[in-house]
Amino acid sequence: MSGPIEPLLAVKGLSSGYGPVTILREIDIEAAPGSVTALVGANGAGKTTLMKTIAGLIPAWTGEIRFDGQDITRAATHHRVDQGIVLVPEGRMVFALLSVEQNLRLGAIAPRARKNVSERLEDTFRRFPRLHERKGQLAGSMSGGEQQMLAIGRGLMAKPRIILLDEPTLGLAPIMVKQVFAVIEDLRKDGYTILLSEQNSRLALEIADYGYILENGRVQLSGPGPELVDMPDVRRLYLGR
Amino acid sequence: MSAQLLFAALVAGSLYALVALGLNLVYGTLRLLNIAHGDLVMIGAYVSFWMLSLFGLPPVLSIFVAAALCGGFGWVIYVGMFRKLLATPALAQRLEANSLILFYGVSVILQNCVALAFTSTARGYQYLNEVHKFAGIAASGNRLMLFGVALALCLGMLLFLRFHLFGWSLRAVIERRDAAAVVGVDVDRVQMVTICIGFAIAGVAGVLVSMTEQITPFMGFPFTIAAFVVIVLGGLGNIFAGIVAGFALGFIETFGVALTSATYRSILIYGLFVGVLLLRPQGLFGKAIKIR
Repeated sequence: MSGPIEPLLAVKGLSSGYGPVTILREIDIEAAPGSVTALVGANGAGKTTLMKTIAGLIPAWTGEIRFDGQDITRAATHHRVDQGIVLVPEGRMVFALLSVEQNLRLGAIAPRARKNVSERLEDTFRRFPRLHERKGQLAGSMSGGEQQMLAIGRGLMAKPRIILLDEPTLGLAPIMVKQVFAVIEDLRKDGYTILLSEQNSRLALEIADYGYILENGRVQLSGPGPELVDMPDVRRLYLGR
Repeated sequence: MSAQLLFAALVAGSLYALVALGLNLVYGTLRLLNIAHGDLVMIGAYVSFWMLSLFGLPPVLSIFVAAALCGGFGWVIYVGMFRKLLATPALAQRLEANSLILFYGVSVILQNCVALAFTSTARGYQYLNEVHKFAGIAASGNRLMLFGVALALCLGMLLFLRFHLFGWSLRAVIERRDAAAVVGVDVDRVQMVTICIGFAIAGVAGVLVSMTEQITPFMGFPFTIAAFVVIVLGGLGNIFAGIVAGFALGFIETFGVALTSATYRSILIYGLFVGVLLLRPQGLFGKAIKIR
């Protein structure tokens, strides 16, 4: 996918971590516009840290993050959201004490997203009818799967140019996992650019245009998603077969 | 008799609710334990006294002066002391405990500066002290104004939190700072505005208090304690429950003192405080929220 197309997101030589602990070591990844890019790897490989660093919740130690050609390595999180880099975080992080509708409307707080909020709210309700049924309810009272839909819907309200979907199926029942992947397919069809981090490596690589396999904070392998799935080493080491 | 007591309880309750509202907003959004909160009430009271004595400005207008002055002080404290500390996760973690000591320092400085400037003599003034009689109640104008302004500010804040986008972002920061940032909330700005609002509310409460009581540089501490009792009753950071708890404290204090004697006032308040901490540390109205 990279090559002639200019990547929307380009991470080069990125290192970061928590306190004295280094998690990411010299990471290079790219995401082409309109594509699904998957980050897979075991627990602790650094997927969530990478997502948080791209979103600006954790500072980058070295390297750079470019979005649409601009260097955003030092930009504040809310400025990145305003540029269209929207994280749907691991563990959903919905506001339990706000209603579903308030959660969604708050998703459109970035200045770039403040126009036509009601129309986008309608779009989001059309995509997730369950949220419409529950719009007056406190977000904390919903099931895990519903909260995941809310977290994605809240992200869509920000008019994302790239969606960072961090572990969207973590802790969900198998039927909800299927639904989440169906949503990802829909979003791709609608032209969204998605960076997806998943423990469910096979499912993620199968739908990904391009995939990166992370191990101990480094990119171990990369390539078009379906090709990675077919590599014998990948199957043996990462897909459990 | 009992209608009169009811009115007294409402007046006391509205004042407690207002003072605690400012403290609760600052604690909720910034996790700062502002032990100097009552001293801002004192500053507001002195603003009102001097505005009336020097310029003949009535308290109803001093409200705006006190709000601006205390709100401005909040801005100075935030920009000068806390912005950098809050932005560094390692320091921010320790800040909640350290803020108690920092604000104790601020409290001592404020009290002594005012005492040096204006002496520690108790002062007071007469304003709206004509008595209105209705529905079996004799109510002075200043108490009616205190009740009206305090209630209006509390309700106004609740409506703001419920219906305004900035109010939601404030609640989002109270619930989860990191998630608020993820959504695109400018957390730094929310914190700055909130500390200004919290401090301004304390200043306004001071103006209201000065209409009905004598003021001294050391009058603030009991308000700090009462405010802490209220927000512990309601659950730290829970704005609506804090307001309800403010009125609850007003009722418990007023009726408790009427049934026993004024000497039991402190025992009632501190007893309630200790009792709630022992039996329901999450607050009377707090409930454990499950986040899946």
